[in-house]
Amino acid sequence: MIGRIWAIALNTFREAARIRVLYGILVLVVGANLLAVVAGKMSMGEQARVARDFGLAGISLFGSLTAIFLGVFLLYSEIQRRTIYAIVSKPIARWEFVVGKYAGMVLVLTVLVALFAAAMAGLLALQGLAITPAVGKAIALAWCEVVTVAAIAVFFSAFSSPFLSGIFALALFAIGRVTPDLRAAVATSQDGWIRAVARGALAIVPDLHLFSVSGETVDGAAVSVHGGFVTWGYVASAAGHGLLWSAALLVIACVIFRRRDFV
Amino acid sequence: MSDAVIVARQLAKTYRTPFRRKRVEALRGVSFEVQRGEVFGFLGPNGAGKTTAIRCLMGLCAITGGSADILGAPVPSRAARQRLGFLPEQPYFYDYLTVGELLDLGGRLFGMAGADRRRRADELIARVGLNHARGQNLKKFSKGMMQRAGLALALINDPDLVVLDEPMSGLDPVGRKEVRDLILELRDQGKTVFFSSHILSDVESISDRVAIVVGGVIQDVGRPRDLVSHTLLGTEVGLRLGDDATADDRAAIAAAAEKVRDSAGELLVSLAAGADVDAFLALARTHGGRVLNVTPRYQTLEDLFVRRVEAARAARGVPREEAGT
Repeated sequence: MIGRIWAIALNTFREAARIRVLYGILVLVVGANLLAVVAGKMSMGEQARVARDFGLAGISLFGSLTAIFLGVFLLYSEIQRRTIYAIVSKPIARWEFVVGKYAGMVLVLTVLVALFAAAMAGLLALQGLAITPAVGKAIALAWCEVVTVAAIAVFFSAFSSPFLSGIFALALFAIGRVTPDLRAAVATSQDGWIRAVARGALAIVPDLHLFSVSGETVDGAAVSVHGGFVTWGYVASAAGHGLLWSAALLVIACVIFRRRDFV
Repeated sequence: MSDAVIVARQLAKTYRTPFRRKRVEALRGVSFEVQRGEVFGFLGPNGAGKTTAIRCLMGLCAITGGSADILGAPVPSRAARQRLGFLPEQPYFYDYLTVGELLDLGGRLFGMAGADRRRRADELIARVGLNHARGQNLKKFSKGMMQRAGLALALINDPDLVVLDEPMSGLDPVGRKEVRDLILELRDQGKTVFFSSHILSDVESISDRVAIVVGGVIQDVGRPRDLVSHTLLGTEVGLRLGDDATADDRAAIAAAAEKVRDSAGELLVSLAAGADVDAFLALARTHGGRVLNVTPRYQTLEDLFVRRVEAARAARGVPREEAGT
């Protein structure tokens, strides 16, 4: 089982490594970091803050967009190009194929996040700024977010076209990022419909805000990558949340994919 | 005990078209058995249900009625796919891989050890004649080369059963002969080969048994020579008329024949099954004709095939001009 999943993951990694868009995204991220350097120099004593915020936002945003792109494209293209015929006719279970594709995407996204982080670290170093443990935790959280978003995209691509999957995944990404606002709506809105919709969204959308908490309040304390940040315990807890959601989404994707006809 | 490698019992496949949700019955109770060690040709016109049946057997799409076993295991199941090799119709593989990498991927999916994968890949690449293209990505492969790569992939696990969907489709005569030879070689090794085709000559020349499927229904199953009747359908006579032959001579010959065609100075004459051939030959000679050949015509698999297709279409009220759709 592990060997078959690994074979699919490795092949997915190879396939993704040939997608030129990814190299474009990498260039964009390096560009965003360079912009952060320029913006930092123009700011009054906020050089480090601007550089870190830009860098981390770049990892989170571009990483998540890449995850959506890979998630909706890689599974669908197997069906559209009919490469899947030669694979699922081998003694591999459909769920192994889906998990293998996802594992391959996680590999690609891990390398990308590492490259994004290396670009940020390099530019911080050029300015005489160090990667602090807080920044390390923020990068780990961004990675958790990116792989959770990939699971969302794979889930949708198990049953819909790339366009619709992309729209749905983007919508969930956007909603998942504003969970504090949804909670506020549940708590304070006078409109019953708004409360019901917000409550429903909170129930069916992963809380992606957990992965982007710099500048927010966690457990009653203000946290920031520039000062006191979350503990590794928090990072592990947020990772657990992402893992559970990813696992649940993949299970449903596998069930749907198992029933698909390739005609 | 039956030695059947594939058993299909009343296989049915119904699906709905994407937008109009129109119900389409692609297979309507298809039953047949493929015995161990035989080459079994699955014959039918385009749209007959051949590929659908194969995809159902390969677990690519769900069976909506009936059941099937492959090598004693129910379809779909991993056990059923463990000892078979499959070449899809018009195969498309990951074009960024080399043929060696493709075979390595296939071997991994069968759980083969690294050394076994490399050894088997080397053997197969040589066997399908792709040694010269080992370093090329599949993207640069021609259709024939892709077909050969697909055949190598289908054989990576040294399968007991090889299923080939339209393996000769799109190949040139040399490529088709190579595939035919490979199928016969596999049979000589004791493997069972199940292949689909609409190229009658290919099916007739290498199949031990054939099934003719039309409109999602099996029309005939059996050995090609048993399926066709041995009744004389008619006689073909090739004639060359002398330079002094007149229009009256031609008219006299035509009057005695069922059909006459003029081809490059030769007359190709069709005589009815009950015609007196000796009398016709005497008549032809009287009118200055030189007999080039006399060929009795018996029913062929093609005659049977065409008759079945036309009968099925007539039963469904499909006009002739829609043939092949």
